[in-house]
Amino acid sequence: MYDFIKDPTLYNLARGPLVWIAFIVFIGGSIYKIRELVLLAKGERVVLPFIDLKATLRSLLHWLIPFASRNWRNRWPITILTFLFHICLVFTPILLLSHNILVYESWGITWWTLPEGLADIMTFVVVITCIIFFLRRFLAPEVKFVTFSSDYLILAISFFPFLTGFLAYHQLLLPYKTMVILHMLFGEIMLIAIPFTRLGHMFYFFLTRSFMGSQFALWHSRDW
Amino acid sequence: MAVSEKIVSREFKQYVRAPNPDIGLDETIKRLTPEKIEKTIKAVLGGRSARIKAVLETCIHCALCSEACQWYLSNDKDPTYAPVAKMRMTIWEMIKRDGKVDAEFIKQCARIVFTECNICHRCSMYCPYGLDVTFIIGMVRRICFLLGVVPQRQMDQDQAHIATLNQVWMSQNDWLDTMQWQEEEVGAEFKNLRIPIDKEGAEVMWLPLGAEPKTGTYHVERTAKIMHVAGIDWTVPGKDVWDSSNMPMFIRDFVTMQRIVRGLYENASRLRIKKLILTE
Repeated sequence: MYDFIKDPTLYNLARGPLVWIAFIVFIGGSIYKIRELVLLAKGERVVLPFIDLKATLRSLLHWLIPFASRNWRNRWPITILTFLFHICLVFTPILLLSHNILVYESWGITWWTLPEGLADIMTFVVVITCIIFFLRRFLAPEVKFVTFSSDYLILAISFFPFLTGFLAYHQLLLPYKTMVILHMLFGEIMLIAIPFTRLGHMFYFFLTRSFMGSQFALWHSRDW
Repeated sequence: MAVSEKIVSREFKQYVRAPNPDIGLDETIKRLTPEKIEKTIKAVLGGRSARIKAVLETCIHCALCSEACQWYLSNDKDPTYAPVAKMRMTIWEMIKRDGKVDAEFIKQCARIVFTECNICHRCSMYCPYGLDVTFIIGMVRRICFLLGVVPQRQMDQDQAHIATLNQVWMSQNDWLDTMQWQEEEVGAEFKNLRIPIDKEGAEVMWLPLGAEPKTGTYHVERTAKIMHVAGIDWTVPGKDVWDSSNMPMFIRDFVTMQRIVRGLYENASRLRIKKLILTE
């Protein structure tokens, strides 16, 4: 097993075709899932005609800003955790210097990057918040009652790419090359899993908020 | 009556409740067969609507909705009263078992969705995704209704609506008579006060709740006084439907629900009314 992971063909595989597959599945799958839901909603005559752009934007704004909605204020520790988690989870991979360099080597394009130290802290934040969310799953009774193995699975899917990335950067535990291969594989698993698991809340968030925001606007009420 | 014995759910050991005998649940489940249950569940959830799909595929089980629920708050934060827990104990289980649940489970679902949820939509205001938990509860209510497993009181109200299109078993004669009687009553206090019935082209149509002409006639009187003094051009319908309390909505009896709403609007369009005023 250990030799298998060290094998350069696996590195080439993870570095080349698997990345392509992962991104194609991620983008294609996401478009497919969004399209599927919108088409289903079209069949239901009470959804699309009531979507209100202004209400949608207001609803999204109140839930994308920390402490802007009532529940964000009520559950302030969760709010801090979840915002830290999601900001770091989304922006670290996109703005990481090493990822940027990989893209630059392939296509010669580059964009703004985070300082290495900050990116390191952000990765660590993802790892720590994941562990807190994991603990919350069985320490908070109301969460424990609705926890399934799939919840642990999606938590693990988002946890391991960051953990292996962090360990690879600091060259801990396993040799760098092995760790980086694991990191790439976990990252690819995450990208593929997004459209087909409840990680899809990444894009469904905007659709469900749009529906509920419009509904509450119709009732002359607020949903935040 | 000292109630010491508690009912512990077979599936969910944390779901412990005091006994709550109700003919509507206890007797009706005796008529159910596993085939009937499976067929009903598949009929309601089978053609997955976008709204059900969005909830099932987005809910991250974070339980942030729990503090929105008055049932959860007033029961010492018992996790089985959280909105997400109600979904978990009803629809998720039905989908997980592909509709193969028994009558006892349906009774438990009915107890959860009818007696432990007010379909108030507050959980949607607390959910970070704004998921429509209420809609899901409504779908489970629909399954229970189609199976006939509904608390007796609610089924009773629904049947009143089915038979008479109001919840108080009032005939059209009684309704018109009550309006005219109230007009006479107020006549002693106000000169020229009228309760116009079926006035074409009126500005406003008043649609009371069933109980108002039946047991709270003073409401009719007071509404008439207010309309008179405010100088509003108003009317009440002379034909069914006039009761705006849509009780079938609460058990998701779509057919009767639609008959009532359609009846109200048909009355309004027949008389070319501009505004409807409903008692709440």
